[in-house]
Amino acid sequence: MFNWLRAVCVLPAKLREKGILGMNARNYSVIAQYNSRRLYPLVDDKVQTKSLALKAGVQTPNLIGVIAHQYEVENILAMVKNHREFVIKPAHGSGGKGVMVVRGYEGGKFTLASGKVIDYNEVYQHVSNILSGLYSLGGQYDSALLEEMVHFSDAFKDYSYCGVPDVRVIVYKGYPIMAMTRLATAESGGRANLHQGAVGVGLDIKTGRTKCAVQHNMPITQHPDTKADLRKIEVPLWREHLLIAAKAYEMTGLGYFGADIVLDAQKGPMMLELNARPGLAIQIANGEGLKKVIKKVDKYYPKSLPPEKRIDYILR
Amino acid sequence: MKMRKFCSVRNVLGVLLGLALLYAGFSAYYKVKYWGFSVSPKQSAKVWAIEAHVSFQADGSPIEVSLGIPSKNRGFKILEENIIANGYKTRKFADRIVFNARNMIGEQDLYYKIMVFDNTGGKDKLKDDAPVAPKMPRWDENTMAQAKQILALAKDAEGKDDIEKLVKLFNQEPLSPALKSYLPVQYTPKQKLEIMQQLLSVKGIATRISRGLKLEEGQKILPDLMLEAYVDRAWRLYDPDTGVRGLPDNFLLFQRGGKSLLDVVGGEDSNVKFSLQKSITSTMNLASRRAKLLRKSGLYNFSIYNLPLAQQNSLKWLSVFPIAILFVVLLRNVVGVRTMGTFTPMLIAMSFVQTGIGAGLVCFSMIVALGLLIRFVMSKLNLLLVPRISAVVIFVILIITGMTFLGYNLNIKIAQASVYFPIIITAWVIERASITWEEDGAANALRELFNSLIVGIIVYFVIANDYVRHIMFVFNELNLVILFAVMLLGTYTGYRLTELKRFAPLVEKPENK
Repeated sequence: MFNWLRAVCVLPAKLREKGILGMNARNYSVIAQYNSRRLYPLVDDKVQTKSLALKAGVQTPNLIGVIAHQYEVENILAMVKNHREFVIKPAHGSGGKGVMVVRGYEGGKFTLASGKVIDYNEVYQHVSNILSGLYSLGGQYDSALLEEMVHFSDAFKDYSYCGVPDVRVIVYKGYPIMAMTRLATAESGGRANLHQGAVGVGLDIKTGRTKCAVQHNMPITQHPDTKADLRKIEVPLWREHLLIAAKAYEMTGLGYFGADIVLDAQKGPMMLELNARPGLAIQIANGEGLKKVIKKVDKYYPKSLPPEKRIDYILR
Repeated sequence: MKMRKFCSVRNVLGVLLGLALLYAGFSAYYKVKYWGFSVSPKQSAKVWAIEAHVSFQADGSPIEVSLGIPSKNRGFKILEENIIANGYKTRKFADRIVFNARNMIGEQDLYYKIMVFDNTGGKDKLKDDAPVAPKMPRWDENTMAQAKQILALAKDAEGKDDIEKLVKLFNQEPLSPALKSYLPVQYTPKQKLEIMQQLLSVKGIATRISRGLKLEEGQKILPDLMLEAYVDRAWRLYDPDTGVRGLPDNFLLFQRGGKSLLDVVGGEDSNVKFSLQKSITSTMNLASRRAKLLRKSGLYNFSIYNLPLAQQNSLKWLSVFPIAILFVVLLRNVVGVRTMGTFTPMLIAMSFVQTGIGAGLVCFSMIVALGLLIRFVMSKLNLLLVPRISAVVIFVILIITGMTFLGYNLNIKIAQASVYFPIIITAWVIERASITWEEDGAANALRELFNSLIVGIIVYFVIANDYVRHIMFVFNELNLVILFAVMLLGTYTGYRLTELKRFAPLVEKPENK
């Protein structure tokens, strides 16, 4: 028993030495400290996040419309009539839940990104589900967003089994401190959740290149499905990625958050959503502790720099 | 800066926790000492019903009957006192009761009944007047020599003082030859005591005989005796069978100081018989009377223990939850178990208390399994959230109804237990499990269910424990301690136990290199 424990677990002192941020410390010493609760709606509600981003000059996928009430659901076809493709997502969703990507539609038949064809009733039902709070945090009534589809860049083409990965950047006091990208696998069912078997690739914060890749907490070097070499990932337009993440700090006032950024082939990096309680798995993907970096920021990083200067400082 | 550091939330909570601990400690001490609350739930106080039955033949002349009675503050507390003496005037004194009557003829029966409990306190020293120095017995030389020989023997016997040594010698098995030849062939316990008294008077120790009752159920024709000796300027009691000093736990002194137990003027063939009966009652039931006896009833009357029993029982049920909550907090924030909903496991545990753990587990698993099955069929219908969860609630009610009905008719006790499960909570468990199942896969859903059940079982064993329930109710200030402990845990920033495993890959182990 004891030997088994020793084999799977480590002493807390070891984790502390490594500067690993635990869940309790994240909640108490970081989130409760730097994320004022009144700011949460800004990031929990994607409509608000979008309008903030617009003001701050941060690119996000264009909004087609918002459906807030059940009686508006039937307007959906009228709303998207100028768009050949669109995305439906819950305003208060998280982690990609409830997102429906429609690649094309004709005569009441909708083709989804996965290739599945569904009819109008199912789309209608999906929007109704969103409104009734099926995908929202805490299950409260929600509204549905209609967005333009992102045309993903080819940069990640070989690395993803299904869907296109986004880049998650952790921002502390305005400084991007850690980044990763999550690659869906067959095992994870096309979802980007690490605990379901998706691959986490830690990205070097200065270069956007692979630091290390893990699946099920174990280091790997190639994608289990596409066999692409994971060590060779290099995110294009890295500085722009970081800049979007950094700008979100001024935008929201949150001291600690995660920014999810996608790369559009034509428009460049776009902010997809912000998360005021980003998960801790990024540490495993990076093989590094967040607390160590947080301490460094507290101690050495200059305060009250504009976003551009902060990125310069990071990339110096 | 220093001041701010001192006033940190953690320190303030720590101080409050300390204060709560102090308060709870003091309060527990007070309750044990003055109200007689006990730490153990099974602790019950023995209440003895003692009846002294005085009978005699009256010859028509004025009657005065004087009976020694247990005086107050002799350890035992008197719960009730009852005198049955038809046609008699009674007067009570500190340690005697006197009955007076005229013109009585024939068989007379007087009853003095008391109910006593608790004989703690005041066991050793008994205040009384100092005796005059005992007279030396007038013996011939031969007897005196024998007595001295016995006293010399007693000196070598075990014991803390002369009296104990002598009593031990008298109770040795077999008796020493010297003592055997000194004692008459047959003797009553009283005679034995009188011989001891004589021997002790040779040593100049004043003694006397006290009467009382050893508390054992049954009838007694003769009271039990205790030897009293004046040692170190106080009268002290000695058990005549063991020589142990002090009032034994189960001994009720009726009469002391060499006075008679019963004096009857105007009657013949007087006799006193005792009968003793034991009844057990919980210490809680006696608390109010005890508080009153000790003049500490003001606080007691203002406490929750003076509420009607129905309310007390509800409060008893409530008082156990803070500790259950503490366990939930510990399991979630310190151990890091992921469960369905924060308090769902606790609510499951509450039902287990009603059903019993075995039946509860079987029933709950069946309800959830059936519910999940129905829920999977229902998920094809794509219903909206509120109607959907409502439908699940109704399904849960139907499942429970069905299981209870079948359980009763097929005489399966276990199935009948299902009626105790909270329907809304169970419905939410099913709903959440099914959503997790669809979104994160069966493994995650089952793991969450399993974790919730494990936490539920742990909490069940906490709240079903008699000791925990008793202590949390009787010493309910502990809930204040738990409150601050929980709040202090709200500032805990250490790693969760599960994180030691989760983040283990981040620490390179020497053996892997």
